[in-house]
Amino acid sequence: MISREEVLNIANLSKLYLDESEIEDARKEMDGMINFAKKIDKIDVDFKDLPEFNSISNAFHEDEIKESYPQNKILESVDGGKDGYFYIKKFN
Amino acid sequence: MRYDLVVGLETHVELNTKTKIFCNCANKFGSEPNTNCCPICLGHPGTLPKLNEKVVNFAIRAGLALNCEVNLISKMDRKNYVYPDLPKAYQISQFYDPICKNGYIELDSGKKIRINHIHMEEDAAKLVYKGGDTYVDYNRGGVPLLEVVTEPDISSSDEAKEYLEKLQMIMRYIGVSDCKMQEGSIKCDVNVSVKPEGSDKLGIRTEIKNMNSITFMAKAIDYERERHIEIIENGGKIMQQTLRYLPETNSTESMRSKEDAQDYRYFRDPDLVDIVLTKEQINEIRNSLPELPGERFKKYVNEFGISENDAVLLVKYKNVSDYFESAIEGLKNVKTVSNFIIGQIFRSLETEAEKEEFKILTAPNQINELAKLIESGKLNMNLAKKALIKMLESGKPVTEFVSESDMKGISREEMKKMCEEAVKANENAVKDYLSGKEKALKALLGSVMKQTRGRGNAQEIEEILKGIIVK
Ligand SMILES: [Zn+2]
Repeated sequence: MISREEVLNIANLSKLYLDESEIEDARKEMDGMINFAKKIDKIDVDFKDLPEFNSISNAFHEDEIKESYPQNKILESVDGGKDGYFYIKKFN
Repeated sequence: MRYDLVVGLETHVELNTKTKIFCNCANKFGSEPNTNCCPICLGHPGTLPKLNEKVVNFAIRAGLALNCEVNLISKMDRKNYVYPDLPKAYQISQFYDPICKNGYIELDSGKKIRINHIHMEEDAAKLVYKGGDTYVDYNRGGVPLLEVVTEPDISSSDEAKEYLEKLQMIMRYIGVSDCKMQEGSIKCDVNVSVKPEGSDKLGIRTEIKNMNSITFMAKAIDYERERHIEIIENGGKIMQQTLRYLPETNSTESMRSKEDAQDYRYFRDPDLVDIVLTKEQINEIRNSLPELPGERFKKYVNEFGISENDAVLLVKYKNVSDYFESAIEGLKNVKTVSNFIIGQIFRSLETEAEKEEFKILTAPNQINELAKLIESGKLNMNLAKKALIKMLESGKPVTEFVSESDMKGISREEMKKMCEEAVKANENAVKDYLSGKEKALKALLGSVMKQTRGRGNAQEIEEILKGIIVK
Protein backbone atom coordinates (compact mmCIF):
# COMPACT_ATOMS: atom_id res chain seq x y z
CA MET A 1 0.00 0.00 0.00
CA ILE A 2 1.29 3.42 -0.91
CA SER A 3 2.14 5.48 2.19
CA ARG A 4 0.78 8.81 3.33
CA GLU A 5 4.29 10.31 3.01
CA GLU A 6 4.58 9.12 -0.56
CA VAL A 7 1.28 10.75 -1.44
CA LEU A 8 2.38 14.03 0.12
CA ASN A 9 5.73 13.90 -1.67
CA ILE A 10 4.11 13.27 -5.04
CA ALA A 11 1.61 16.07 -4.36
CA ASN A 12 4.48 18.38 -3.52
CA LEU A 13 6.42 17.49 -6.69
CA SER A 14 3.26 17.98 -8.76
CA LYS A 15 2.62 21.32 -7.05
CA LEU A 16 -0.79 20.12 -5.87
CA TYR A 17 -2.35 21.03 -2.58
CA LEU A 18 -4.21 18.16 -0.88
CA ASP A 19 -6.72 18.66 1.91
CA GLU A 20 -6.35 16.36 4.91
CA SER A 21 -9.56 14.67 3.81
CA GLU A 22 -8.25 14.09 0.29
CA ILE A 23 -5.08 12.32 1.30
CA GLU A 24 -6.70 9.00 2.19
CA ASP A 25 -8.72 9.00 -1.06
CA ALA A 26 -5.61 9.74 -3.07
CA ARG A 27 -3.83 6.80 -1.38
CA LYS A 28 -6.59 4.43 -2.43
CA GLU A 29 -6.81 5.78 -5.96
CA MET A 30 -3.09 5.62 -6.58
CA ASP A 31 -2.96 2.14 -5.16
CA GLY A 32 -5.67 1.12 -7.57
CA MET A 33 -3.72 2.53 -10.48
CA ILE A 34 -0.53 0.76 -9.50
CA ASN A 35 -2.31 -2.55 -8.98
CA PHE A 36 -3.95 -2.20 -12.35
CA ALA A 37 -0.56 -1.68 -14.01
CA LYS A 38 0.84 -4.65 -12.11
CA LYS A 39 -1.25 -6.95 -14.34
CA ILE A 40 1.50 -6.45 -16.90
CA ASP A 41 3.91 -8.34 -14.65
CA LYS A 42 1.96 -11.55 -15.34
CA ILE A 43 2.75 -11.39 -19.06
CA ASP A 44 5.85 -13.31 -20.02
CA VAL A 45 7.84 -10.80 -22.01
CA ASP A 46 11.20 -11.66 -23.41
CA PHE A 47 12.03 -8.85 -25.80
CA LYS A 48 14.59 -10.96 -27.58
CA ASP A 49 11.85 -13.27 -28.79
CA LEU A 50 9.78 -10.58 -30.43
CA PRO A 51 10.15 -11.31 -34.13
CA GLU A 52 10.13 -7.67 -35.26
CA PHE A 53 13.25 -7.04 -33.25
CA ASN A 54 15.43 -9.57 -34.94
CA SER A 55 14.13 -9.73 -38.47
CA ILE A 56 15.26 -6.24 -39.44
CA SER A 57 18.66 -4.68 -38.99
CA ASN A 58 20.70 -1.86 -40.49
CA ALA A 59 17.97 0.59 -41.43
CA PHE A 60 20.06 3.64 -42.22
CA HIS A 61 19.60 7.05 -43.76
CA GLU A 62 22.07 8.34 -46.31
CA ASP A 63 24.18 11.30 -45.24
CA GLU A 64 22.61 13.71 -47.73
CA ILE A 65 20.96 16.94 -46.62
CA LYS A 66 17.24 17.28 -47.23
CA GLU A 67 15.48 20.55 -46.68
CA SER A 68 14.48 21.19 -43.08
CA TYR A 69 11.18 22.78 -42.11
CA PRO A 70 10.96 26.57 -42.25
CA GLN A 71 11.46 28.23 -38.90
CA ASN A 72 7.89 29.54 -38.68
CA LYS A 73 6.53 26.03 -39.30
CA ILE A 74 8.81 24.64 -36.60
CA LEU A 75 7.62 27.29 -34.13
CA GLU A 76 3.96 26.98 -35.12
CA SER A 77 3.25 24.52 -32.31
CA VAL A 78 4.47 26.99 -29.68
CA ASP A 79 2.56 30.07 -30.87
CA GLY A 80 5.47 31.28 -32.94
CA GLY A 81 8.08 31.23 -30.17
CA LYS A 82 10.15 34.35 -29.57
CA ASP A 83 12.92 35.79 -31.77
CA GLY A 84 13.17 32.49 -33.63
CA TYR A 85 13.51 30.46 -30.44
CA PHE A 86 11.31 28.21 -28.40
CA TYR A 87 10.66 30.32 -25.36
CA ILE A 88 10.23 29.31 -21.74
CA LYS A 89 9.17 32.12 -19.46
CA LYS A 90 10.79 32.32 -16.08
CA PHE A 91 8.55 30.78 -13.46
CA ASN A 92 8.68 31.63 -9.80
CA MET B 1 50.87 11.65 3.42
CA ARG B 2 51.36 11.47 -0.30
CA TYR B 3 48.48 10.89 -2.68
CA ASP B 4 47.94 9.46 -6.15
CA LEU B 5 45.62 11.31 -8.49
CA VAL B 6 43.15 9.16 -10.42
CA VAL B 7 41.40 10.69 -13.43
CA GLY B 8 39.07 9.30 -16.06
CA LEU B 9 37.74 11.27 -19.04
CA GLU B 10 34.51 11.04 -20.98
CA THR B 11 35.00 13.02 -24.16
CA HIS B 12 32.22 14.04 -26.51
CA VAL B 13 33.38 14.43 -30.09
CA GLU B 14 30.98 16.09 -32.49
CA LEU B 15 31.05 14.38 -35.88
CA ASN B 16 31.31 16.44 -39.05
CA THR B 17 28.72 14.52 -41.05
CA LYS B 18 26.55 16.50 -43.44
CA THR B 19 23.34 15.52 -41.65
CA LYS B 20 22.09 14.81 -38.15
CA ILE B 21 22.19 11.38 -36.57
CA PHE B 22 18.54 10.37 -37.07
CA CYS B 23 17.20 12.69 -39.79
CA ASN B 24 18.39 14.49 -42.92
CA CYS B 25 18.50 17.99 -41.41
CA ALA B 26 21.83 19.75 -41.89
CA ASN B 27 24.48 19.31 -39.18
CA LYS B 28 25.68 22.90 -39.30
CA PHE B 29 27.08 25.31 -36.72
CA GLY B 30 26.03 28.95 -36.61
CA SER B 31 22.72 28.86 -38.53
CA GLU B 32 19.70 31.00 -37.61
CA PRO B 33 17.99 29.34 -34.62
CA ASN B 34 15.61 26.46 -35.34
CA THR B 35 16.23 26.42 -39.08
CA ASN B 36 17.88 22.97 -39.22
CA CYS B 37 14.95 21.16 -37.68
CA CYS B 38 12.17 18.74 -38.63
CA PRO B 39 9.55 16.66 -36.81
CA ILE B 40 12.07 13.82 -36.31
CA CYS B 41 14.74 15.84 -34.51
CA LEU B 42 12.00 17.66 -32.57
CA GLY B 43 10.68 14.28 -31.44
CA HIS B 44 7.14 14.81 -32.65
CA PRO B 45 4.83 11.85 -32.07
CA GLY B 46 4.59 9.39 -34.93
CA THR B 47 8.01 10.11 -36.41
CA LEU B 48 10.57 7.38 -36.93
CA PRO B 49 14.29 8.03 -36.49
CA LYS B 50 16.75 6.29 -38.84
CA LEU B 51 20.44 6.08 -38.00
CA ASN B 52 22.87 7.97 -40.25
CA GLU B 53 25.05 5.44 -42.09
CA LYS B 54 28.01 7.82 -41.99
CA VAL B 55 27.86 8.03 -38.19
CA VAL B 56 28.37 4.27 -37.98
CA ASN B 57 31.25 4.50 -40.45
CA PHE B 58 32.86 7.33 -38.45
CA ALA B 59 32.41 5.48 -35.16
CA ILE B 60 34.20 2.46 -36.63
CA ARG B 61 36.99 4.67 -38.00
CA ALA B 62 37.42 6.27 -34.60
CA GLY B 63 37.35 2.91 -32.86
CA LEU B 64 40.00 1.41 -35.11
CA ALA B 65 42.22 4.50 -34.85
CA LEU B 66 41.97 4.22 -31.06
CA ASN B 67 42.92 0.53 -31.07
CA CYS B 68 39.42 -0.66 -30.13
CA GLU B 69 37.53 -3.84 -30.92
CA VAL B 70 34.44 -3.15 -33.01
CA ASN B 71 31.29 -4.97 -31.89
CA LEU B 72 29.63 -6.84 -34.74
CA ILE B 73 26.22 -6.18 -33.23
CA SER B 74 25.38 -2.95 -31.44
CA LYS B 75 22.14 -1.30 -30.40
CA MET B 76 20.67 2.06 -29.51
CA ASP B 77 19.19 2.78 -26.08
CA ARG B 78 17.09 5.54 -24.55
CA LYS B 79 18.52 7.62 -21.72
CA ASN B 80 15.56 9.20 -19.98
CA TYR B 81 15.64 12.63 -18.43
CA VAL B 82 13.41 15.66 -18.57
CA TYR B 83 14.94 18.95 -19.63
CA PRO B 84 14.06 21.58 -22.24
CA ASP B 85 17.14 20.71 -24.32
CA LEU B 86 15.65 17.28 -25.03
CA PRO B 87 12.33 17.41 -26.87
CA LYS B 88 11.62 13.68 -26.56
CA ALA B 89 12.48 13.66 -22.82
CA TYR B 90 15.07 11.01 -23.67
CA GLN B 91 18.38 11.04 -25.46
CA ILE B 92 19.10 8.25 -27.92
CA SER B 93 22.46 6.82 -26.94
CA GLN B 94 24.16 3.44 -26.53
CA PHE B 95 24.36 1.90 -23.09
CA TYR B 96 24.20 -1.89 -23.17
CA ASP B 97 25.91 -2.63 -26.49
CA PRO B 98 28.14 0.25 -27.62
CA ILE B 99 29.81 0.10 -31.01
CA CYS B 100 33.48 -0.07 -29.86
CA LYS B 101 35.30 -1.25 -26.74
CA ASN B 102 38.72 -1.93 -25.22
CA GLY B 103 41.04 0.51 -26.94
CA TYR B 104 43.82 2.82 -25.85
CA ILE B 105 45.81 5.97 -26.63
CA GLU B 106 49.56 5.76 -26.10
CA LEU B 107 51.22 8.77 -24.49
CA ASP B 108 54.76 9.91 -25.38
CA SER B 109 56.02 8.22 -22.22
CA GLY B 110 54.78 4.89 -23.61
CA LYS B 111 51.99 4.74 -21.02
CA LYS B 112 48.70 3.53 -22.43
CA ILE B 113 45.47 5.23 -21.39
CA ARG B 114 42.85 2.52 -21.83
CA ILE B 115 39.57 3.32 -23.51
CA ASN B 116 36.66 1.42 -21.99
CA HIS B 117 34.28 2.01 -24.88
CA ILE B 118 33.06 4.41 -27.56
CA HIS B 119 29.36 4.96 -28.13
CA MET B 120 27.22 6.94 -30.56
CA GLU B 121 24.57 9.38 -29.39
CA GLU B 122 22.67 12.54 -30.26
CA ASP B 123 23.54 15.98 -28.95
CA ALA B 124 20.96 18.03 -27.03
CA ALA B 125 19.64 21.46 -28.03
CA LYS B 126 21.34 24.73 -27.14
CA LEU B 127 19.79 26.72 -24.33
CA VAL B 128 20.21 30.47 -24.14
CA TYR B 129 19.36 32.17 -20.84
CA LYS B 130 18.22 35.78 -20.94
CA GLY B 131 16.76 37.65 -17.99
CA GLY B 132 15.72 34.45 -16.26
CA ASP B 133 13.88 33.21 -19.35
CA THR B 134 15.08 30.29 -21.42
CA TYR B 135 15.36 30.28 -25.21
CA VAL B 136 15.82 26.96 -26.99
CA ASP B 137 17.53 26.40 -30.34
CA TYR B 138 17.07 22.83 -31.57
CA ASN B 139 19.60 23.11 -34.42
CA ARG B 140 22.12 21.22 -32.30
CA GLY B 141 19.54 18.68 -31.17
CA GLY B 142 20.28 15.46 -33.01
CA VAL B 143 23.80 16.37 -34.06
CA PRO B 144 25.87 13.16 -33.97
CA LEU B 145 28.37 12.63 -31.17
CA LEU B 146 30.84 9.97 -30.22
CA GLU B 147 31.55 9.59 -26.55
CA VAL B 148 35.00 8.20 -25.80
CA VAL B 149 35.22 6.86 -22.24
CA THR B 150 38.58 6.05 -20.64
CA GLU B 151 39.44 3.84 -17.70
CA PRO B 152 40.69 5.81 -14.67
CA ASP B 153 44.27 5.50 -15.95
CA ILE B 154 45.26 9.15 -16.01
CA SER B 155 47.42 10.22 -13.09
CA SER B 156 48.22 13.91 -13.68
CA SER B 157 46.72 16.96 -15.33
CA ASP B 158 49.59 16.83 -17.85
CA GLU B 159 48.62 13.31 -18.85
CA ALA B 160 45.00 14.41 -19.19
CA LYS B 161 46.12 17.25 -21.46
CA GLU B 162 48.28 14.99 -23.58
CA TYR B 163 45.52 12.41 -23.86
CA LEU B 164 43.01 15.00 -25.01
CA GLU B 165 45.43 16.62 -27.47
CA LYS B 166 46.22 13.22 -28.96
CA LEU B 167 42.54 12.29 -29.18
CA GLN B 168 41.83 15.60 -30.90
CA MET B 169 44.68 15.07 -33.34
CA ILE B 170 43.62 11.52 -34.21
CA MET B 171 39.98 12.52 -34.77
CA ARG B 172 41.14 15.27 -37.13
CA TYR B 173 43.48 12.94 -39.01
CA ILE B 174 40.78 10.37 -39.67
CA GLY B 175 38.48 13.19 -40.76
CA VAL B 176 35.54 12.52 -38.45
CA SER B 177 35.55 15.80 -36.51
CA ASP B 178 36.98 19.30 -36.63
CA CYS B 179 37.41 19.14 -32.85
CA LYS B 180 37.01 22.89 -32.49
CA MET B 181 36.85 23.47 -28.78
CA GLN B 182 35.60 27.04 -29.17
CA GLU B 183 32.59 25.76 -31.12
CA GLY B 184 32.02 23.04 -28.57
CA SER B 185 32.75 20.26 -31.02
CA ILE B 186 34.87 18.54 -28.39
CA LYS B 187 33.90 18.61 -24.71
CA CYS B 188 34.73 16.45 -21.77
CA ASP B 189 33.49 15.35 -18.37
CA VAL B 190 36.31 14.71 -15.92
CA ASN B 191 36.18 12.20 -13.07
CA VAL B 192 38.66 12.99 -10.30
CA SER B 193 39.61 11.16 -7.13
CA VAL B 194 42.69 10.75 -4.95
CA LYS B 195 44.00 7.79 -2.96
CA PRO B 196 46.94 7.23 -0.62
CA GLU B 197 50.08 6.67 -2.68
CA GLY B 198 50.29 3.12 -3.95
CA SER B 199 46.89 2.08 -2.57
CA ASP B 200 44.65 -0.19 -4.65
CA LYS B 201 41.43 1.23 -3.33
CA LEU B 202 39.96 4.09 -5.33
CA GLY B 203 38.82 7.19 -3.47
CA ILE B 204 35.40 8.79 -3.79
CA ARG B 205 35.20 10.69 -7.05
CA THR B 206 33.70 13.93 -8.19
CA GLU B 207 32.77 14.70 -11.76
CA ILE B 208 33.44 18.05 -13.43
CA LYS B 209 31.02 18.51 -16.30
CA ASN B 210 31.34 20.10 -19.72
CA MET B 211 34.95 21.23 -19.92
CA ASN B 212 35.53 22.83 -23.31
CA SER B 213 39.09 24.08 -22.90
CA ILE B 214 42.16 21.93 -22.40
CA THR B 215 43.81 24.59 -20.23
CA PHE B 216 40.82 24.91 -17.94
CA MET B 217 40.43 21.16 -17.75
CA ALA B 218 43.99 20.86 -16.47
CA LYS B 219 43.39 23.64 -13.94
CA ALA B 220 40.13 22.06 -12.80
CA ILE B 221 41.89 18.72 -12.22
CA ASP B 222 44.65 20.38 -10.18
CA TYR B 223 42.11 22.34 -8.18
CA GLU B 224 40.01 19.26 -7.40
CA ARG B 225 43.09 17.28 -6.43
CA GLU B 226 44.06 19.90 -3.86
CA ARG B 227 40.49 20.19 -2.60
CA HIS B 228 40.16 16.42 -2.11
CA ILE B 229 43.48 16.16 -0.30
CA GLU B 230 42.61 19.05 1.98
CA ILE B 231 39.28 17.48 2.97
CA ILE B 232 40.89 14.10 3.64
CA GLU B 233 43.77 15.62 5.63
CA ASN B 234 41.24 17.44 7.80
CA GLY B 235 39.47 14.18 8.54
CA GLY B 236 36.52 14.94 6.26
CA LYS B 237 34.81 12.83 3.65
CA ILE B 238 34.59 13.62 -0.05
CA MET B 239 31.00 14.00 -1.20
CA GLN B 240 30.32 12.27 -4.50
CA GLN B 241 28.84 14.98 -6.67
CA THR B 242 28.70 16.66 -10.03
CA LEU B 243 30.60 19.92 -10.31
CA ARG B 244 30.94 22.88 -12.57
CA TYR B 245 34.32 24.61 -13.04
CA LEU B 246 34.42 28.40 -12.65
CA PRO B 247 37.36 29.84 -14.63
CA GLU B 248 37.04 33.33 -13.09
CA THR B 249 37.89 32.07 -9.61
CA ASN B 250 39.65 28.82 -10.60
CA SER B 251 37.34 26.77 -8.41
CA THR B 252 34.46 24.32 -8.66
CA GLU B 253 30.88 24.53 -7.47
CA SER B 254 28.29 21.84 -6.94
CA MET B 255 25.66 21.18 -9.62
CA ARG B 256 24.01 18.27 -7.85
CA SER B 257 24.93 15.72 -5.22
CA LYS B 258 24.72 11.95 -5.40
CA GLU B 259 21.45 11.95 -3.44
CA ASP B 260 19.63 13.47 -6.35
CA ALA B 261 21.69 11.62 -8.93
CA GLN B 262 19.48 10.78 -11.86
CA ASP B 263 18.22 7.36 -12.67
CA TYR B 264 18.23 7.38 -16.44
CA ARG B 265 16.14 4.20 -16.79
CA TYR B 266 18.11 3.10 -19.83
CA PHE B 267 16.29 0.74 -22.12
CA ARG B 268 16.55 -0.44 -25.69
CA ASP B 269 15.05 2.05 -28.16
CA PRO B 270 12.30 0.14 -29.95
CA ASP B 271 12.29 2.62 -32.85
CA LEU B 272 15.80 1.67 -33.94
CA VAL B 273 16.97 -1.68 -35.23
CA ASP B 274 20.25 -3.49 -34.56
CA ILE B 275 23.44 -2.37 -36.24
CA VAL B 276 24.97 -5.53 -37.66
CA LEU B 277 28.47 -5.34 -39.10
CA THR B 278 30.64 -7.82 -40.94
CA LYS B 279 34.36 -8.39 -40.48
CA GLU B 280 34.89 -7.57 -44.15
CA GLN B 281 33.21 -4.22 -43.70
CA ILE B 282 35.41 -3.42 -40.71
CA ASN B 283 38.57 -4.50 -42.54
CA GLU B 284 37.65 -2.33 -45.48
CA ILE B 285 37.41 0.67 -43.17
CA ARG B 286 40.68 -0.31 -41.49
CA ASN B 287 42.41 -0.30 -44.88
CA SER B 288 41.01 3.13 -45.69
CA LEU B 289 42.49 4.76 -42.57
CA PRO B 290 45.25 7.29 -43.22
CA GLU B 291 48.63 7.11 -41.57
CA LEU B 292 48.02 8.31 -38.00
CA PRO B 293 49.95 11.13 -36.28
CA GLY B 294 51.78 8.73 -33.94
CA GLU B 295 53.04 6.68 -36.88
CA ARG B 296 54.08 9.78 -38.81
CA PHE B 297 55.90 11.17 -35.79
CA LYS B 298 57.94 7.99 -35.45
CA LYS B 299 58.73 7.97 -39.17
CA TYR B 300 59.88 11.60 -39.17
CA VAL B 301 62.18 11.11 -36.20
CA ASN B 302 63.54 7.62 -36.89
CA GLU B 303 63.67 7.52 -40.69
CA PHE B 304 63.99 11.16 -41.68
CA GLY B 305 66.22 12.27 -38.80
CA ILE B 306 64.01 15.25 -38.00
CA SER B 307 64.27 16.53 -34.42
CA GLU B 308 61.45 15.57 -32.06
CA ASN B 309 60.50 19.23 -31.57
CA ASP B 310 60.16 19.77 -35.30
CA ALA B 311 58.34 16.48 -35.80
CA VAL B 312 55.74 17.53 -33.20
CA LEU B 313 55.09 20.73 -35.16
CA LEU B 314 54.83 18.85 -38.45
CA VAL B 315 52.32 16.23 -37.27
CA LYS B 316 50.20 18.52 -35.11
CA TYR B 317 47.87 19.43 -37.97
CA LYS B 318 46.98 16.99 -40.69
CA ASN B 319 47.06 19.65 -43.43
CA VAL B 320 50.64 20.54 -42.55
CA SER B 321 51.73 16.93 -42.39
CA ASP B 322 49.98 16.05 -45.66
CA TYR B 323 51.64 19.05 -47.31
CA PHE B 324 55.03 17.96 -46.03
CA GLU B 325 54.46 14.38 -47.23
CA SER B 326 53.67 15.50 -50.74
CA ALA B 327 56.44 18.14 -50.86
CA ILE B 328 59.17 15.62 -50.02
CA GLU B 329 58.42 13.17 -52.80
CA GLY B 330 61.62 11.91 -54.39
CA LEU B 331 63.92 13.94 -52.12
CA LYS B 332 66.93 12.53 -50.34
CA ASN B 333 67.20 15.23 -47.73
CA VAL B 334 63.72 16.09 -46.48
CA LYS B 335 64.97 18.39 -43.74
CA THR B 336 65.17 21.27 -46.22
CA VAL B 337 61.40 21.02 -46.63
CA SER B 338 60.67 20.68 -42.91
CA ASN B 339 62.84 23.73 -42.26
CA PHE B 340 60.99 25.70 -44.93
CA ILE B 341 57.62 24.77 -43.40
CA ILE B 342 58.54 25.43 -39.77
CA GLY B 343 60.59 28.50 -40.67
CA GLN B 344 59.49 30.62 -43.62
CA ILE B 345 55.98 29.21 -44.10
CA PHE B 346 54.89 29.17 -40.44
CA ARG B 347 56.15 32.74 -40.11
CA SER B 348 53.48 33.80 -42.58
CA LEU B 349 50.74 32.03 -40.60
CA GLU B 350 50.10 33.84 -37.36
CA THR B 351 47.41 31.94 -35.50
CA GLU B 352 47.05 28.25 -34.67
CA ALA B 353 43.84 28.28 -36.70
CA GLU B 354 45.77 29.52 -39.75
CA LYS B 355 48.38 26.83 -39.26
CA GLU B 356 45.67 24.22 -38.96
CA GLU B 357 44.00 25.40 -42.14
CA PHE B 358 47.38 25.76 -43.87
CA LYS B 359 46.00 27.68 -46.81
CA ILE B 360 49.05 28.96 -48.66
CA LEU B 361 49.54 30.08 -52.23
CA THR B 362 52.51 27.84 -52.89
CA ALA B 363 51.64 24.27 -53.85
CA PRO B 364 53.62 21.35 -52.38
CA ASN B 365 55.01 20.43 -55.81
CA GLN B 366 56.47 23.96 -56.08
CA ILE B 367 58.30 23.47 -52.79
CA ASN B 368 59.39 20.09 -54.09
CA GLU B 369 60.79 21.73 -57.24
CA LEU B 370 62.68 24.26 -55.11
CA ALA B 371 64.09 21.58 -52.82
CA LYS B 372 65.21 19.51 -55.79
CA LEU B 373 67.17 22.46 -57.22
CA ILE B 374 68.95 22.77 -53.88
CA GLU B 375 69.58 19.05 -53.62
CA SER B 376 71.11 18.87 -57.10
CA GLY B 377 73.40 21.78 -56.25
CA LYS B 378 71.90 24.02 -58.90
CA LEU B 379 70.70 26.58 -56.40
CA ASN B 380 72.31 27.64 -53.17
CA MET B 381 70.36 27.99 -49.95
CA ASN B 382 70.75 31.73 -49.89
CA LEU B 383 69.01 32.26 -53.21
CA ALA B 384 66.51 29.52 -52.45
CA LYS B 385 65.31 31.25 -49.30
CA LYS B 386 64.94 34.56 -51.12
CA ALA B 387 63.01 32.85 -53.87
CA LEU B 388 60.81 31.04 -51.34
CA ILE B 389 59.65 34.30 -49.80
CA LYS B 390 58.62 35.59 -53.22
CA MET B 391 56.99 32.26 -54.04
CA LEU B 392 54.90 32.37 -50.86
CA GLU B 393 53.76 35.91 -51.60
CA SER B 394 52.80 35.24 -55.21
CA GLY B 395 52.07 31.54 -55.57
CA LYS B 396 54.36 31.53 -58.61
CA PRO B 397 56.90 28.77 -59.23
CA VAL B 398 60.58 29.10 -58.35
CA THR B 399 61.54 29.54 -62.03
CA GLU B 400 59.90 32.98 -61.93
CA PHE B 401 62.43 34.21 -59.40
CA VAL B 402 65.70 32.58 -60.30
CA SER B 403 67.30 32.90 -63.72
CA GLU B 404 69.19 30.34 -65.75
CA SER B 405 72.46 31.94 -64.73
CA ASP B 406 71.45 31.79 -61.02
CA MET B 407 70.94 28.10 -61.40
CA LYS B 408 74.15 27.55 -63.26
CA GLY B 409 76.03 28.49 -60.17
CA ILE B 410 79.35 30.22 -60.46
CA SER B 411 82.74 28.77 -61.24
CA ARG B 412 85.81 29.21 -59.06
CA GLU B 413 87.53 30.99 -61.92
CA GLU B 414 84.78 33.59 -62.10
CA MET B 415 84.86 34.12 -58.36
CA LYS B 416 88.63 34.53 -58.42
CA LYS B 417 88.32 37.18 -61.11
CA MET B 418 85.72 39.07 -59.10
CA CYS B 419 87.88 38.90 -55.98
CA GLU B 420 90.93 40.22 -57.80
CA GLU B 421 88.92 43.14 -59.14
CA ALA B 422 87.54 43.88 -55.68
CA VAL B 423 91.02 43.90 -54.13
CA LYS B 424 92.26 46.29 -56.84
CA ALA B 425 89.30 48.63 -56.39
CA ASN B 426 89.49 48.78 -52.60
CA GLU B 427 93.10 49.47 -51.74
CA ASN B 428 92.15 51.15 -48.46
CA ALA B 429 90.20 48.17 -47.23
CA VAL B 430 93.13 45.93 -48.05
CA LYS B 431 95.50 48.18 -46.10
CA ASP B 432 93.13 48.22 -43.12
CA TYR B 433 92.91 44.46 -43.16
CA LEU B 434 96.68 44.07 -43.33
CA SER B 435 97.00 46.40 -40.36
CA GLY B 436 94.80 44.08 -38.33
CA LYS B 437 91.26 45.28 -38.92
CA GLU B 438 89.39 42.01 -39.49
CA LYS B 439 86.20 43.92 -40.33
CA ALA B 440 87.70 45.35 -43.49
CA LEU B 441 87.63 41.90 -45.07
CA LYS B 442 83.86 41.69 -44.49
CA ALA B 443 83.38 44.81 -46.62
CA LEU B 444 85.31 43.20 -49.46
CA LEU B 445 83.41 39.98 -49.05
CA GLY B 446 80.12 41.88 -49.17
CA SER B 447 80.95 43.59 -52.41
CA VAL B 448 81.98 40.31 -54.08
CA MET B 449 78.84 38.54 -52.81
CA LYS B 450 76.77 41.31 -54.29
CA GLN B 451 78.46 40.86 -57.62
CA THR B 452 77.73 37.13 -57.65
CA ARG B 453 74.09 38.01 -56.93
CA GLY B 454 74.10 35.63 -54.04
CA ARG B 455 75.27 32.65 -56.02
CA GLY B 456 78.69 32.53 -54.44
CA ASN B 457 79.65 30.67 -51.34
CA ALA B 458 80.77 33.18 -48.69
CA GLN B 459 83.32 30.86 -47.14
CA GLU B 460 84.90 30.09 -50.45
CA ILE B 461 85.09 33.78 -51.39
CA GLU B 462 86.67 34.71 -48.07
CA GLU B 463 89.28 32.06 -48.60
CA ILE B 464 90.09 33.36 -52.12
CA LEU B 465 90.25 36.97 -50.89
CA LYS B 466 92.69 36.12 -48.13
CA GLY B 467 94.82 34.22 -50.62
CA ILE B 468 95.06 37.23 -52.92
CA ILE B 469 95.76 39.79 -50.19
CA VAL B 470 98.44 37.80 -48.39
CA LYS B 471 100.29 37.29 -51.70
ZN1 LIG C 1 15.60 16.92 -38.36
